[in-house]
Amino acid sequence: MTSRIRSLAAAAAVGLLLTATAGCSTFSSSGRYKYQHAEGGQPSVSGTPTDGAKASAKPVLPYDIRPLLKPEKKYFGVSLPGFPASMQPLQTYASLVGKKPDMVETYAAWGDQFESQQVQDTWDYGAMSFIAWEPMKKSLADIAAGKDDAYIHQFAQSVAALNLPVAISFAHEMNGFWYPWGTKKATPQQFVSAWKHVHDVFAEEGATQVIWVWSPNVIGPMKSVRLKPFWPGDAYVDWIGVIGYYGLDGPHTYKTLYGPTMDEVRGFTKKPFIIAETASEGRTRKPADIDDLFQGTAKRSDVVGFIWFDYNKETDWRVDSSSAAAAEFRRQAAGKAYGVDVRKP
Amino acid sequence: MSDWRPPRSGAQEQRGRSQPSWAVNGPDDRPAPEPEPGYQAPQYAYEEAPPAYGYAETFTPPSPSYTDDPYGESAPGAGPSAGEEYPRAPYYDQAVSGAYGTHEQAAPVDTYALDEPDAGYAVYEAESVPPGYVLPDVPESAWSFDARRSVRLGRILLACLLLVQAVLSLRLRGTAFEDEALYIASGHYELANVLHGTPVPVDFGAYFSGYPKFYPVLAASVDSHFGLTGVRVVSLFFMLGTTGLLYAMTRRMFNVRAALGAAALFCGLQSTLYLGNFATYDAPALFLLALSAWLVVRTGRSNMAFVLLAAPPAALACGVKYAAALYMPTLVVLAVLTAYRHRGWRSLLRGVVLGAAIAALLGLGLKLAGSLGGISGTTTNRAHGTDSALRMLQDSANWGGLLFLAALGGSIAYGLRARMGEMPWIGNATPGPLRRVSLGVLLTGTALLAPAYQIHLGTEISLYKHVGFGLLFAAPMAGLGLARLVGPHFRNPQLGIILFVATLTFGMVQSHEEYSFPNSKPMVAYLRTVVNHKGIYLAEEQEVPAYYLRDVTGWNQWQTTFLMDYQAKDGKHYSGPAAFSAAVRDAHFDVIELHGGVTPDADQAVTDALKGNPHYRLTAVIPYTTSSGTSAFRIWVKQ
Repeated sequence: MTSRIRSLAAAAAVGLLLTATAGCSTFSSSGRYKYQHAEGGQPSVSGTPTDGAKASAKPVLPYDIRPLLKPEKKYFGVSLPGFPASMQPLQTYASLVGKKPDMVETYAAWGDQFESQQVQDTWDYGAMSFIAWEPMKKSLADIAAGKDDAYIHQFAQSVAALNLPVAISFAHEMNGFWYPWGTKKATPQQFVSAWKHVHDVFAEEGATQVIWVWSPNVIGPMKSVRLKPFWPGDAYVDWIGVIGYYGLDGPHTYKTLYGPTMDEVRGFTKKPFIIAETASEGRTRKPADIDDLFQGTAKRSDVVGFIWFDYNKETDWRVDSSSAAAAEFRRQAAGKAYGVDVRKP
Repeated sequence: MSDWRPPRSGAQEQRGRSQPSWAVNGPDDRPAPEPEPGYQAPQYAYEEAPPAYGYAETFTPPSPSYTDDPYGESAPGAGPSAGEEYPRAPYYDQAVSGAYGTHEQAAPVDTYALDEPDAGYAVYEAESVPPGYVLPDVPESAWSFDARRSVRLGRILLACLLLVQAVLSLRLRGTAFEDEALYIASGHYELANVLHGTPVPVDFGAYFSGYPKFYPVLAASVDSHFGLTGVRVVSLFFMLGTTGLLYAMTRRMFNVRAALGAAALFCGLQSTLYLGNFATYDAPALFLLALSAWLVVRTGRSNMAFVLLAAPPAALACGVKYAAALYMPTLVVLAVLTAYRHRGWRSLLRGVVLGAAIAALLGLGLKLAGSLGGISGTTTNRAHGTDSALRMLQDSANWGGLLFLAALGGSIAYGLRARMGEMPWIGNATPGPLRRVSLGVLLTGTALLAPAYQIHLGTEISLYKHVGFGLLFAAPMAGLGLARLVGPHFRNPQLGIILFVATLTFGMVQSHEEYSFPNSKPMVAYLRTVVNHKGIYLAEEQEVPAYYLRDVTGWNQWQTTFLMDYQAKDGKHYSGPAAFSAAVRDAHFDVIELHGGVTPDADQAVTDALKGNPHYRLTAVIPYTTSSGTSAFRIWVKQ
């Protein structure tokens, strides 16, 4: 009897030992990391594979920006001083115009980090970030040659990691001469090469959450500069972000201000437009300009919206530069055509 | 001397004395080795009075007289008197007589016979004064002899090994591998065809490596109720059954210790652990091979006709997975070598009977199944690859080298000596040298079949699984080798432990290394948002999304990246990578998913065609990590 118990105890001990051995790690720390990353990294949802993997919540899928490319309503965007340092200007603007902006444009110098928190805050507010990325310190040729790839990769990784939609306009107003990447400092070929290179790095990093905005200035001031040479191709662009202001002089109707540019663009692409920067300088005419902007955008099905440049810079572009303008803006903004729910476009 | 007496167990108190179980239950309960055909155990009976064991307390002679009186309570010389027949122990007759011959030759017994007067004093002391120390019961035989106790212990240890195997297999995690997805998905279509006559979307038999109405249908049936996990658990049962049959087969051929060794080494192999959680043909095919092999060995001492029992599982194994046919010669030769009741041509006849039965069943099956293009495409006439023989040998050695070396050692040791010598008196009850050497060569050599065949084909595809088929046959010899390594009376247990632990460690690490494929969960979740029942989708390893998304898409909506013929919009006909390029340029696909590595030529063609292609937008890049490194699913959607 005793011997049998002893045998059983020994067998049980061996079994326990073997089981314990089975549970022991056979990985190095790096191997364990890889294993865990591979095994437990992606959770499951109903209707998706769940077998043999750790049960957890919804999988984190890359944000599909396609519904945002041409939503039913028009984007009602703004660019404001004091933002993104504070959300207060945005809230003040919203109360002024009576509608929450659904797109907020900011400017990022070449070399700046991607402001994930700012984009997140904007998204939480209910708006999409629109970043005008300005290659002030690096030539387009160098960018195209990959000399700043580390920075671009890092930026793209941050975008992918945040996994929220963001519109990026790289080297806007490239057809003008006033910026370091303008016609005086770079050729259209260099611009296209740089654009494609930046785009490809983002694709390589899996930063598919970007809406690429090719943003020329309206052609009025530079009638001799053709746009097509600057065009990277439909595969590289989502929106044509036309920039044009209602000035005191020059064209100041939707048709005359944007029409020629849009017509020329339609010669090589059917991508939708967005008025990427606009405002009115006109003093007494400002309410009319505002009316023209809202109505013109609403009438064109290939224009997805506009972004109001609400700065007092060089001149007072702000909505509330006059009470009449503010009232008209408020009245127009109340229209059903404007205001995209970016979460459910 | 005090009056103290050693405590007795309850059973001892009841019986009044300690007796071995066989002495209580009768001689028929005692297991005994089956003798070699023609072997006659010499009949032994005491013709004279056996010696008196006055020093019974301190000596354990291999005699029933001791067990009759373990405490020396009998009077000196209490054995049968001269002329009486000593109480016979059949076991003793059979086991002891082989070595000791007759009673007169039992030298150790005579050594302790008490002829001198002084001995009586000692006995008197023992009777009047309780001894200070009494030896416990000593088993009649060494553990190498399969007494009932050792068999029971062996089964307990086998259960532990199976537990370890199950735990290590279930530790492996992952979404469906391409092959699993293919077989289960096809099984659903085949099942619908069987039950409702629904046409199958493609002729799976034309390119499957097993009959599509066997395992796939079983897998799909299980999948319908329990999902992929259920199908994998079925594989686990098959693999646990394989280990169990290996144990039974090895025990039948050798002994419990070798059987445990075989099971221990086999259960920790990379291929065993992998296949135990892998929903493909392999596990059931391996189980059926093991079943057939066990039946061959189990019926070795039976009428020759009983070997026919091994034919159906063998033939079925070939049907389940065509490559199992590679091991039919091994089964046939095993039938010859384990024909213990026969020698010469009659043992050969046993093999012929089995071979003919298997061939007949396979012929019948082939006739019923009709044309199976998959047999040649995947097995007999597989496309030759460019993988190097050295690489395949290295990998095979990594995966099964330890077991193979153990089998080699076991074969050599077995060829040299049939038994370890723990119980030399049963040394004659073993096969002869020719049969032993042949058995070692056959079983150990079978481990080389899969690597040799794949080296011939020049492809390493699935070798990590196939290597396990041969190792199943080599495992009995490896078990024997492990038992010999440990040595008689467990002289070197540390060597056996080292071998087992090393095998287990290699198996654990390698199975994790191999069982590492892209986690398709997020990829499938994303695809679910962009597919419908109308679109055409190009996917690398398309079987995976086709399986998971079979509720919203049909099998033929998914285009593989392995091959393609395409009639382009320009009117030209393309095939191979050019077909993919043309189709992408024409925006033929609604969604494209690539993850690289499986079909590099097609991937490159598609990627090049996508560059600057306005029809497609890269909408998702989903990274994943496997043991090969980090990569990503890249998904383009037509815009």
